[in-house]
Formats: sequence, structure tokens, C-alpha cells
Amino acid sequence: MFKNPLLLIALALTIGVSIWGIIDTQGLSNFASEQVKITLRSRGWFVMLTVSFLLITSFILALSKFGKIKLGRDDDEPEFSTMSWLTMMFAAGMGVGLLFYGAAEPITHYLFLAGQGAPPPKAASNAMLITLFNWGLHAWAIYGVTALAIAYFGFRKDVPQLVSGPIRATFGNNPLVRGTGWLVDLLSIYAIAIGLAGSLALGVFQVQDGIITLLNLKNTGMGLTLTIFGILCAAYILPLTVDLSKGMAVLSNTALIIAVALMVFLLLFGPTSFLMNGIVEAIGQYFYQALPAGFSTLAYFEEGAKVWFESWSLNYMVWWLAWAPFVGVFIARISRGRTIREFILGVLLAPTFFSIFWFGVFGGLGFYQSAASQLDPAIVQENINQTTFLLLGNMPLSKLTIVATSVAAFLFIVTSVVSAAYVLAMFSTGGSQNPSVKIKLIWGVILGVLGLVMILSGSVGAIRNIIAMSAGPFVFVILLLLVCLLKTIKNEKV
Amino acid sequence: MMGLLDTLMNLFVFAFIGLLIWLYFYEPKKESKKRDDQQRTLEFKNR
Repeated sequence: MFKNPLLLIALALTIGVSIWGIIDTQGLSNFASEQVKITLRSRGWFVMLTVSFLLITSFILALSKFGKIKLGRDDDEPEFSTMSWLTMMFAAGMGVGLLFYGAAEPITHYLFLAGQGAPPPKAASNAMLITLFNWGLHAWAIYGVTALAIAYFGFRKDVPQLVSGPIRATFGNNPLVRGTGWLVDLLSIYAIAIGLAGSLALGVFQVQDGIITLLNLKNTGMGLTLTIFGILCAAYILPLTVDLSKGMAVLSNTALIIAVALMVFLLLFGPTSFLMNGIVEAIGQYFYQALPAGFSTLAYFEEGAKVWFESWSLNYMVWWLAWAPFVGVFIARISRGRTIREFILGVLLAPTFFSIFWFGVFGGLGFYQSAASQLDPAIVQENINQTTFLLLGNMPLSKLTIVATSVAAFLFIVTSVVSAAYVLAMFSTGGSQNPSVKIKLIWGVILGVLGLVMILSGSVGAIRNIIAMSAGPFVFVILLLLVCLLKTIKNEKV
Repeated sequence: MMGLLDTLMNLFVFAFIGLLIWLYFYEPKKESKKRDDQQRTLEFKNR
């Protein structure tokens, strides 16, 4: 372990951030906020141009002759059935963020747009459009391109499934390329660690607010937060020491089933026709405006609108870039034997349609309850964490659904952190498929400490800024991966 | 100062875009290409 400079530097970097965060949480938070503001203000146009380019290129690839190329040898068959593959894709994209923002985000955008003078129906419609833009095709294009590059080079060119794999395979083995690859792997490790720690913190907030709502607690302070955090850490440390891959799969599927069942329950027992009207309208609005929305930078709008755009859409795109190495490696691993066409269409469309339904149900229900004065929309400004639970509180079987949501959030976090610790250990040991327990445990502990730093920041906004800061370089990395992919694919005989 | 930082960051981005375009069209030298082709042939034969 001590002869592995990549591992040592990655550990030093993440431990350094952890120590900084513990000693001076506010300082780290302010620094991240400032850095992100400068970066997104200067290069926001580049982020939007990149994500739009990734989406358009993905569709062109899928529809071109290169769509027939298999991710693997020409006679490889898909490792999993299409249904299993799509389900695992949902699991990859489904996380505590969807539970957290399902209702809160559409309502937040609605309040902003209504505050800018938009009539309520227009504000609601556009709020849903913006939400779907943040979670839809562009986000999955980021994951898809990363995963495609790793899968293509991994399965078809027998290259280690690291983010640097395509770079080394395309440009050879000279010192400059090796150095670039090494740096890319280091940045990937750092981005995964920060991103997962952020999700861990969000998950703790979510579970905490579930318990507060369920038991009608007041002024719980850090005691409850740290208790939940402690239980979460204990829950994910054990699977790192023993091979519980089957158990992890069961937990992940359980979380997914709970989330989907919750969505279906709300759709059927809520205002079904209102929600379905909203979903159908969202499908039309979104697919008609998705592409132009990807080029929108609010160039000529006033400062308030620009700040909101940077805080949401731009911040999201950078957040997805932080997650791209982690989600990309996972999607790549389950996609052997698929053609590029199947892969791209599956990765882009299936999760996007799911998101349309998810936000259509949760966001639509939020709008409905707000209009019926059952839910004060201003709650998202006071305590965004509680929005989902207050929404559920107005529905039948609220105690059951609140418990189920908290359990799902808990399981999502446990399974994500276990997977992340494995991926981090794999990346930091040159792509070893069986990293040692010691290294997985070290990463598990670091994820926990980083998560604690995020929790201590106390603010969802601060967490997102710290994640965005770590993801800054990724907009460059992903474009480099795309160049590697296109450059190599054009030599394929199809 | 902010204006200068802004300009520099954007210059970096333009340079990077140029680098990507160059990398896409860049072909390695003939000797290393020959080695890569031989390696690919070996891999193909071993399938």
C-alpha cells in the first residue's frame, strides 16, 4: 500500500479536506462557495455547451453505423436481460437525491418563477421543465458518455476499467500520457469521495427529518443527527469487511422497490388525474424544449436570475460530473454485450422517463397540496429536508410512507457508500477487481469523516458547493474521454 | 482583478478546446502506429 503513490496522494487530499472541514467548517464552506461562484460565472457557458454537445453526440453515435458496435467482442451476448439491465440502471441513478428533491425542487423553482411575476400555471409548468432538465437527458448524457468510454475500451480493447483507461489506450504509453492518466484517476477518486460523502450527509438529513416528522420531535440538535450518522457508518462498515455482494444487491433492490411503490401509491391514492395531466404535459414540454434548454445560459437576464441559474441547473450539471466516474464505472460493468445503440438509448431514455414520472408525481402532488393550502410552499425555503415528509403527512398511511421513505433513504446511502468504497479502492489500486479489505475499509472511514464534515456544515447549499468544487476539472476529463472514444471508434470496420 | 481572472479562465477553455480538436486529428508516428497495429493483429488472432 505504501508503494502506491496514487493511493497515498488521494488519501492525503481527502484527509486534508476532512481536517480542514472539521477545524473550520464555515471556512471550507465559504471557500467552496466562492470558488464555485467564480468558476460557474466564468465558465458556465462551457459547462452548458459541453453537456449539450455530449447529448447530441450520444444521439448521433446511437443512430449512426457505429451504433452496431458491441461493447465487447462481436459475438458477446448481453450479460443481463434487458429488464434486469434497465432495473440496475434505475438503481444507479436512483438515489437519496430523488427522495430529497422530488417535491422540493419543483416547488422551489415555482416560488422563484412566481416571484419573478410568472402567472401560476406558467410558473408551475416551467418549474417542472427546469426540474426535468436538471435530472433528465443531459445528466444521463454525462453518465452515458463516461460509461460508454469505459465500457468500450474495457470490454472491446481489454483495457482496465479506470477513467484513465481510454486515455492510455488511445494515446499510448509515453510519460505525458501516463501523467495525465494518473492525474485523471486522482481527480476521479477525489470527486467520487466528495460526491458520495455529500450524499451520505443528505441521506442523514433525510432520515433525521423523517424521524422528526414521524415522532413530532422538536429541537433535536446534533444529537439525533450524529446518532443516525453513527448507525449509518456501522451499517456500511460491515459489508466492506466481508463479501456481501448478494446481500447488497438485495438491499439495493429493496430500496428501489420501496421508492417505486411509494411513487405508485402516491399516484393512485393522490389526485391521479391531476398528476397524470401534469406528467403528460411534462413529457411534451420536456422533449420539445430539452435541446434548446441545454443551450440556455440566461445571458441577458438580471443578476437574481443568473444567481438562481448558477445555484440550480449549472450546479447540477457539475454535480453530475462529480458523480460521472462512479456511476459511469457501474453502468459500464453491467453493459457488456450491448450494442452502442442499445446502450445509449437505454441509458438516456429509461432513467429520463422514470424521472418524468417521479417528479410528475412528487412535484405535481406538491403543487396540488400547495394550491389546496395543505402544504405551505415556503417550507422549501425554511427547511428543504422536510418537504417530502410534510407532503406524505397529508396523504393516507402517512406514518407508513414516512417510515418507508426513511428506510429507503437509509438503504440507498448504505449501498451507495459500500459501492463507492469498492470503486475507490479499485481506482486507487490500478483497477484491481478485488481490492484488499484494508483499503476498502480505509476508504469507508474517509467517506464517513468527509460525510461528517458535510453534516457539520449544516447546509445543503454548502454540501452542493463542496461537491461542485471537486467536480470542476471533470468537464475537461469527460471531453477528453469523448475524444478518445470517437478517435478509436472511427477506425472500427462497420 | 476579477476581470483578468475571468479572461484567463476563458482563455484556458479556448486553448483546451483547441487541444481536443488537435488530439482528435493527431496520428501517432509511423513506428508506434506499426507497433499498435501489430498488437491489435495479435489480439484479433487470439480471439
